[in-house]
Amino acid sequence: MPYEMIAILMFSSMMLMLLTGQRVFGAIGFVASASAVFLGWNNGVDIPFSAAMKLMKWYPLLTLPMFIFMGYVLSESKIADDLYKMFHVWMGPVRGGLAIGTIGLMVLISAMNGLSVAGMAIGATIALPELLKRGYDKIMVTGVIQAGSSLGILVPPSVVLVLYAMIARQPVGQLWLAGVIPGLMMATMFIIYIYVRCRLQPHLGPALPEDERNVPMAEKLRLLGAGVLPLAIFAVMMVPFVKGYTSLVESSAIGAMAAFLAAVLKGRMTREVFETSVRQTLAISCMFMWIILAALGFGAIFDGLGAVKAIEDLFTQQLGLNAWTILILMQLSFILMGTFLDDTAMLVIVAPLYVPLVGSMGFDLVWYGVLYTITCQIAYMTPPFGYNLFLMRAMAPPEITIRDIYRSIVPFVIVMAFALAVVMIFPQIALWLPNYVYGK
Amino acid sequence: QAPIKWRFQTYAGAALGEFVTKPVIDYINTAANGEMEIELFYADQIVPTGELFQALQSGTIDAVHSDDDSMASPTPLQVFGGYFPLATKHALDVPVLFEQYGLADIWRSEYEKVGVAWLSAAGQDPCNFNTKKEVTSLADLDGLKLYTFPTAGRFLAQFGVIPVSIPYEDAEVAVQTGELDGMAWSGITEDYTVGWANVTDYFLTNNISGAWIGSFFVNQKQWADLPEHLKSIVMAGIEAGHTYRNQWYWGGEARLRATGDQLKLRSIPQAEWKTVEDAAVTFWDEIAQEGEIHSKIVQIFRDYNEVLGKAGPPYSFG
Amino acid sequence: MPRVILGYIRAIDAMNYFIGRFAMYLLFVLVGVLLWSSVSKTLFTSSHWTLETAQFVMVAYYVLGGPYSLQLGSNVRMDLFYGGWSVRQRAWFDAFTVLFLMFYLGVLLYGGINSFAYSLGRPYNATTYEFLSELLSTLFSQGFDAAGDKLGFMERSNSPWRPYLWPVKSLLCIGVFLMLLQSLAEFFRDIGRIRGEAL
Ligand code: NA
Ligand code: NA
Repeated sequence: MPYEMIAILMFSSMMLMLLTGQRVFGAIGFVASASAVFLGWNNGVDIPFSAAMKLMKWYPLLTLPMFIFMGYVLSESKIADDLYKMFHVWMGPVRGGLAIGTIGLMVLISAMNGLSVAGMAIGATIALPELLKRGYDKIMVTGVIQAGSSLGILVPPSVVLVLYAMIARQPVGQLWLAGVIPGLMMATMFIIYIYVRCRLQPHLGPALPEDERNVPMAEKLRLLGAGVLPLAIFAVMMVPFVKGYTSLVESSAIGAMAAFLAAVLKGRMTREVFETSVRQTLAISCMFMWIILAALGFGAIFDGLGAVKAIEDLFTQQLGLNAWTILILMQLSFILMGTFLDDTAMLVIVAPLYVPLVGSMGFDLVWYGVLYTITCQIAYMTPPFGYNLFLMRAMAPPEITIRDIYRSIVPFVIVMAFALAVVMIFPQIALWLPNYVYGK
Repeated sequence: QAPIKWRFQTYAGAALGEFVTKPVIDYINTAANGEMEIELFYADQIVPTGELFQALQSGTIDAVHSDDDSMASPTPLQVFGGYFPLATKHALDVPVLFEQYGLADIWRSEYEKVGVAWLSAAGQDPCNFNTKKEVTSLADLDGLKLYTFPTAGRFLAQFGVIPVSIPYEDAEVAVQTGELDGMAWSGITEDYTVGWANVTDYFLTNNISGAWIGSFFVNQKQWADLPEHLKSIVMAGIEAGHTYRNQWYWGGEARLRATGDQLKLRSIPQAEWKTVEDAAVTFWDEIAQEGEIHSKIVQIFRDYNEVLGKAGPPYSFG
Repeated sequence: MPRVILGYIRAIDAMNYFIGRFAMYLLFVLVGVLLWSSVSKTLFTSSHWTLETAQFVMVAYYVLGGPYSLQLGSNVRMDLFYGGWSVRQRAWFDAFTVLFLMFYLGVLLYGGINSFAYSLGRPYNATTYEFLSELLSTLFSQGFDAAGDKLGFMERSNSPWRPYLWPVKSLLCIGVFLMLLQSLAEFFRDIGRIRGEAL
């Protein structure tokens, strides 16, 4: 069978399989193993299992359960409540200030966990009810929480960047640092958007009433101390790593323990919190691992059957496009696929196709990792398929309808697409910090 | 008639494979004039290196370029592939050992027993060290986590080295994530080609072996089924590849030591390095005890090194 | 539903729940190994078994925890259409699609058993089935030592620690097999839903 046919066959049957609503790893694994068995590969049947050995050897994956656990401890134990109060008190007097404070809260939470789950949970359970009570526009605040929590995968530590590092074989440390400035930049853009919008339409985000603003300075300062905790957890984890005292996986274990101890010391580690965090960590880790296992098998079989070559030929030879056009097309196709494909699956299936091509066109793969992550952030929020959408739907109070959730993301997706373009045009935004820290 | 298709996986990642394996594959594909097509895959691309031999044996992968050690060969030859400590001095020693001292016959017959056709072995670069920390004495090796070959790691462990085994393509990243302090894996040409020179600072000129021993293997049945004229083309391609690598490494080692600006050269004084050479003698004795084939091969190394010693420079060092 | 099937579902659910709960706490073993790794490195010399041990623990974590995660329903689905279907419609689709999952798990298991036989030194000219059945029959008729003689070149990890690989490979096979058992239970449950019985 010609390579193009194999590529089309495997992709289209996977789409079809996914549309049936079956478990994503089953769909990917089935297409992979059926292709290996029926498309004439002598003994290709062993490949899906050899992917398990590949997965085992890839040590950065050890960080996955650690960062997931950290996120759950943080959200379940509610040690973030004080943080929220801090932003509430300090930012309340400004128009739209609580929404701006929520973005700040999300940035801090992003620095303590690798996914957007924790940010979503904290945002939806603590911030959202408060914001609604203060008369903030429900559509705007829903968007604020989804967009803000998506920073979890761009601000280090980031599980998505760990997965990307695995596929692109780029240093995780550099990738994480590369995400810092774009992450902060994006947060700033969100804040500017909220501020301007609330200036123009004050009813969307009213300032706190006079009596609520008069918090004594001593109390204000005490709350400022709440911001120290996440920074301390972040430092305990990142400083030894960046300094080279501990390795990546060791740091992730230290981070998990630090979050756990913080919850214990604050008296928040109840039996129930413990049970939920540990169980959910297993559930989410297993979900990721089985998808990655299936996708690694899919990748090797897709490659071994010659389909990768077909796609490379299509882009570089047959269409005869230049490097930048290809890059932009890739991001567009990525966002497009992200609207209807499972995000993790997309991550592990599409990236192995694109990354070698991006590398061979001479682009910096650390920089591309940031572009890739921002694209994933967008994919996480765009309907119908997106983790943040799912979580929002599950956690939002009943007065927020699915229509509201879908509408709420529009301005933020535009801001994120703008940020993507800015980082594309000015690679230094991503590359300056890693070059500064790791530069020889 | 449809061309014969082989899936071929090399031990090398894409950056190095460009020089050490791809020329061979390109030669064969061109010369076979459409009768045969070999698709080249790089380290871990289809199967992880640990599973490579099994895949070759069962025909999941048709052919492989690797050393016996890193592909975990299920034969007594495993310890001798890659870098057998201080067994060779130059790349040319390897074809001499195989063609003139009888290693080729041993290799051919041992692999026949496990369902794999061994085609040819060649020498490559020496095994030096490239590290983040400066190494100027044996004591500096103590506690270093190095990416190295299994047998080399077993040997180096007595000097406090902590050998780490990870996929080839992850080694560069592992230096940056702190999983590694450097490599005892190759000469300087590879350090620059692969990108390891970007993440380490020092190159130790002392080597624990003068030439890498690596081979080309084919699944037994695939080789038996190949028409004679295509077998000739495959062998010619491999020989051409050997010649190319000989000059590429020999020239590269000299030029990059002399003019490379990313790695600073360091040496452990010869008097101190003697400890390592003596340890190698003991190590050879231990390995010779492990079996009949082992002792036969160790004897061949002893014989050959004796000849080199008597012949004097350039065959031996001073 | 026949009582046999009900019994099967209950037994498999209970077994995988128990194994999954055990796997869940391996998280702390993992943390322990990694913390030991960083502590031992600062205090004395690095241990060379930690990274590989952590990798083995992680395999046990996700492969033994897999069936429990199926029970918890944590595996994502693309719910573009699925989300809008009724319970019965979903059950119809699931009853079919779980067969795809079982096909995948079957291929995984098949490859796993091949790899397991290789790790015990299967001669290249014997099939996995021939080798393992001879090994088992020798074990039962002549005992451990005789079976030990049938083993070939035992595969080891190529790290300096050189652990044998058959334990982790058998662990993977067991985990995949448990996933298959759980998938079959899910299949029966879907059939039950189609017939309007909650199982
Ligand atoms: Na993060
Ligand atoms: Na989406």
